[in-house]
Amino acid sequence: MAHDHHHHDDEHEHAALPDTLLRTKALESLLTEKGLVDPRALDELIDTYEHRVGPKNGARVVARAWVDPQFKAHLLADGTDAIKQFGFDGRQGKDMVVVENTPQVHNMVVCTLCSCYPWPVLGLPPVWYKSSPYRSRAVIDPRGVLAEFGVTLPATVEVKVWDSTAEVRYLVLPMRPEGSETLSEEQLAELVTRDSMIGTGLPRAPGTAV
Amino acid sequence: MRVLQRENVQEVLRVGDSARVASDAPARFKPGDAVRTRNFHPPGHTRLPRYARAKRGVVAISHGVFVFPDTHAATGDKKPQHLYSVQFTMRELWGEGASDIDTVHIDLFDDYLEPA
Amino acid sequence: MNGAHDMGGMHGFGPIAPEPDEPVFHAAWERRVFALTVATGFGGEWNIDMGRFARESTDPAIYLRSTYYEKWLHGLQHLLIERGHVSEAEIEQRMAQLAAREEGGKA
Repeated sequence: MAHDHHHHDDEHEHAALPDTLLRTKALESLLTEKGLVDPRALDELIDTYEHRVGPKNGARVVARAWVDPQFKAHLLADGTDAIKQFGFDGRQGKDMVVVENTPQVHNMVVCTLCSCYPWPVLGLPPVWYKSSPYRSRAVIDPRGVLAEFGVTLPATVEVKVWDSTAEVRYLVLPMRPEGSETLSEEQLAELVTRDSMIGTGLPRAPGTAV
Repeated sequence: MRVLQRENVQEVLRVGDSARVASDAPARFKPGDAVRTRNFHPPGHTRLPRYARAKRGVVAISHGVFVFPDTHAATGDKKPQHLYSVQFTMRELWGEGASDIDTVHIDLFDDYLEPA
Repeated sequence: MNGAHDMGGMHGFGPIAPEPDEPVFHAAWERRVFALTVATGFGGEWNIDMGRFARESTDPAIYLRSTYYEKWLHGLQHLLIERGHVSEAEIEQRMAQLAAREEGGKA
C-alpha cells in the first residue's frame, strides 16, 4: 500500500482495528438508509455529552454543599431531589445517592460489572473507570487503587467501596479542603476534581495550580 | 422501532431512564438486618456479582422498589422489588489477609437475599 | 451469567494508568458508536438490561481484549442482528463497499 494516512483525523482513526472503524461506518450507513436512526439526533447526542455535560456540574453541587449546611443535609438525605432542584437531571442519574467523606470514612465508587456512572453530574466516565484494572481491583484492593492515584489514607479510616450494581448512581461528597474558608462558592467549585467525586482522588488544595 | 429525532433528544435525555417503580410492596428487609446472598449462577443476566454470592452482609440502605434486571433482561418482565445497599466486610468477601476495617457496599435485590 | 464482565476481584489486569486530561471520545468512530447505541436504545425494542446482557454475551476472549466502545459495538450489533434489523452479511458487504470507495479515493 503506497499511501495510508493523509489527515490528522485519520491517524487517530487508524489506531483502532481497521475492522472497527469500517464496521461503525457501515452500521451507521445501513441504519440511516433503513430509516432507523436520524443522523442529526446522533450529532445532538454527541454534542450533549462531549461539550455540555461534565464534572463541572458535580463540582457546583459539592461547592454548594460546602457553603450551605441545609443544602448539604438535603443532598445526603435525598440526593435525587437535591441535585434535580439544583438543576441537574437526566439519563443515568435519575436515582442518586450522595455519600460523604469524613475523617473516619472515605468513599470510592465503581461498577465492577460494566461502567455505571452518574452522567448528569459527572458526564461520561473516563477510560480507566470503565477498564478491567479498576473494575477488578476496586473491590478487592481499594487502598492499592488509591495509592496508584497518589492517595494514602490512615489505617484507621474506613474505605467504603460502592459497587453500582443497580440503577442507583453514587456521587462522593469530598471533604472541604483546609484553608478554603475565604473562597467564594465559584472558587470552591474549581477545587473539586472529577476524581474526588468518584472517590479516587481528593479535592485540590486552595492556591494549587490547575 | 421508534426513531429518535433530533428535536426530541434533550427532552428524552431529561426524562431519562429511572428504573424506580411506585409500589406498596413490603420490603423483606430493613437497614440493620443481617442477610446472606444466594448461591446461584444463572446463565442469563444478573447483577449479583460472583464475588458476593453466598456471603453475609448487613443492610445499610433501603433504596425502594425498582425494576428487577434479571427478569427484565430475559423477558421484559419488570418484577418490581425492593433494592438495598448491603454492606460486606472485606474479610467476609476475600478472607485471609483482607482488611479488617474496609467494606464494600453492593446494591442488591430482594430476590438475591435470604435472612442470615 | 458467569461471564468475563463479572470481574470484581480478578487479578492480572495490570496498572490502572489514568490518562491525564483525557478527551471524552478518543476517536470519531467512538462518538458514532456511543450515539448509535443511545439512540437505538430509545427505540423500544430492547431495554437497558437487555442491552447490558448483549455486551456480556460477547465471547469472553473478545470482550477482554476489546476497548470500551468496541464492547458497545459488539453489543449493538448483537441486538440489531438478533431482531433482524441488519445481518452480518449486509454489514460486511457495506464494509467492503466503503473500503473500496476509500481505496478508490486514494488512487
